[in-house]
Amino acid sequence: MQIDEVVWQVINRGHCSFKIKTISQNFCRNEYNVTGLCSKQSCPLANSQYATIKEEKGLCYLYVKTAERAQKPKELWEKILLSKNYEQALAQIDEQLKYWSNFMIHKNKQRLTKLRQMLIRIRKMRLKGFKELIPIKKKAERRDKIREQKALVAANLENAIEQELIDRLKNGVYNEIMNYNTKAFEKVVGQNQVEDEEEREQQEQEEEEEDYSDEELIFDPNDLEEDDEEDQEEDDDEDDKRLFKKQTFNQLRRDDDELKDVKKKKPRVKLQYEEEEEVEDRKKQQIAF
Amino acid sequence: MTSVPLVSVFSADDSTKVTAKHIPLPAVFQTPIRPDIVSFVHTNIAKNRRQAHAVNPQAGMQHSAESWGTGRAVARIPRVSGSGTHRSGQAAFGNQCRKGRMSLPIKVWRRWHRRVNIKQKRHAAATAVAATGIVPLVLARGHRISQVPQIPLVVEDKIESYEKTTDALNFLKRFGAFEDVQKVVSTKVVRAGISKQRGKKYRVRKGPLVVYFNENAKLLKAFRNVPGVEVVNVTRLNLLQLAPGGQLGRFVIWTQSAFAHLDKLFGTYRYASVLKDGYQLLRPLLTNPDLARIINSNQVQEKVQPAKTTKVLHEVQKKNPLKNTKAMDRLNPYAKKQRAAATAAIKANTKGTKKIKKNKALKKASRAAFNKVSAALNDATKAAVQEEQDIKVKYFSVQKGAAQAE
Repeated sequence: MQIDEVVWQVINRGHCSFKIKTISQNFCRNEYNVTGLCSKQSCPLANSQYATIKEEKGLCYLYVKTAERAQKPKELWEKILLSKNYEQALAQIDEQLKYWSNFMIHKNKQRLTKLRQMLIRIRKMRLKGFKELIPIKKKAERRDKIREQKALVAANLENAIEQELIDRLKNGVYNEIMNYNTKAFEKVVGQNQVEDEEEREQQEQEEEEEDYSDEELIFDPNDLEEDDEEDQEEDDDEDDKRLFKKQTFNQLRRDDDELKDVKKKKPRVKLQYEEEEEVEDRKKQQIAF
Repeated sequence: MTSVPLVSVFSADDSTKVTAKHIPLPAVFQTPIRPDIVSFVHTNIAKNRRQAHAVNPQAGMQHSAESWGTGRAVARIPRVSGSGTHRSGQAAFGNQCRKGRMSLPIKVWRRWHRRVNIKQKRHAAATAVAATGIVPLVLARGHRISQVPQIPLVVEDKIESYEKTTDALNFLKRFGAFEDVQKVVSTKVVRAGISKQRGKKYRVRKGPLVVYFNENAKLLKAFRNVPGVEVVNVTRLNLLQLAPGGQLGRFVIWTQSAFAHLDKLFGTYRYASVLKDGYQLLRPLLTNPDLARIINSNQVQEKVQPAKTTKVLHEVQKKNPLKNTKAMDRLNPYAKKQRAAATAAIKANTKGTKKIKKNKALKKASRAAFNKVSAALNDATKAAVQEEQDIKVKYFSVQKGAAQAE
């Protein structure tokens, strides 16, 4: 009691680490403050006789501080569990704070009410569930979006699907009559023509497919077996089939010139080689001189 | 205070054990709290640690600059002599000039230190010590003492022989002082400003102050490396440590012998100090500073005269009696009755007149009549409109005919 006045003067005029000054009002950060405001009546430091309500795990406790224990910070606050029944709790406050100032009793009851309301709301929210607000992180969103696009492009979905379908076609999944895109079909065929001798079988399978005209492109797996015997066929057959291909897929194929050049290129190389040899010999002869 | 409060001395090993109960509080702790003295003394004493510094006396003046005087269409400030460089002709010397010397350059013979009256210094120290014993002040300063068993915290002399920092730390933990140390650790910040380049990189809070007595005590080294903790001998209590920043209420941990020595140091209200020659503790202006209590006490209230009621000469805001009935009533008490009589009279006059009842038949008839009239009106308007249209048509057809004819 004696010291309170002095303490308030020192704290209020001087510095208090719990005081928060705003333009309109002063607040008190002290955890035991009943009202949350900075004033002489509600300062837990400047009142040796003080009481607060605090909530812990859904239960309300009355914390009481008296002048007798003022020098012992550890034992300063007496913790009294309040009844879960609101009216009984109010009665408890009245009983514990009997003969205390009206201000203290009133503010404690107010605080109890407020805390209980808060607890009710918490319980309701837990039961009903509530919309949790998650902030949109602009940077992250932007980044992920762009990466998704890139991944989509990188995945080459169309190619993958194409390959898958071709594989299925090869494996004979599609045994029934299928109408399919001539361009795509040619692509498949084209691919096989560039492959190694090892995969000739497959090549010839597809070459079989070539024989069919535009209108009736039917893939018959039975036909595949026939071509197994023709493993060692030379370029001649290929040439024939190319010509055939020319006739049937004229609109869609690549330039005829290209193929002609391909034909021509092979012998040319040989000739060149021979020429080089001749030149080298001549050079040698010259040097000898 | 009539009764001297008693203090327990705690065992260094066990914070629950008390080695000596009920030691009387030294008189210092009952010194009146005088933040004004502390503030004054602190601001002055804080200046005593300063080292002289100065600006180079030649700085900005190493030119043979002279003012060009008037008549040259330039300001009269001294200008750098010579030619062949940008600098020639530029302003020099003035504090406002670029590359000029500062105004009132700092001199080494500035009065860096302040002397404070010894008595004031002693009073300040005594107050600061007293404030360390008041829990709210220590809390308000920002120390985390909610788990400390007692303030002032007095511990047996055993801690003076601590050599290891681990012992020191464990001791602090036992007595709930570690929270304060943790606060210091967690709030260590890189200092803002140039000082960080001048050896003051971090801003560190103040933690507990440990006060010992025996000069051979080794606890200095044990507590040295604990952040925030300071160690000081009782005989050399420093206001700058007891009230850092001029703020009362440092968290202090006393050893038993140090605590006992305080009486000799500062003396009591009965005896002057032994060690501070002739020093007598400050006496309070009011032995009971609780003004509210004094005023409301029976002894005072008995003698006090009853409160005078202020005489109201006139209303704060003038109310028009002609409009405001209450104001009127205040002036003329009979006005109320007059008004009542007037209303009664009005009522009496209107007693004979019957209220017109809504006659359904009448309503019907009137409505029929109305409809008739409105119908007639409608017809008339229609006819008029039609007539107008006919005329228009005729007119325009005539026009057309005329045009065609042409």
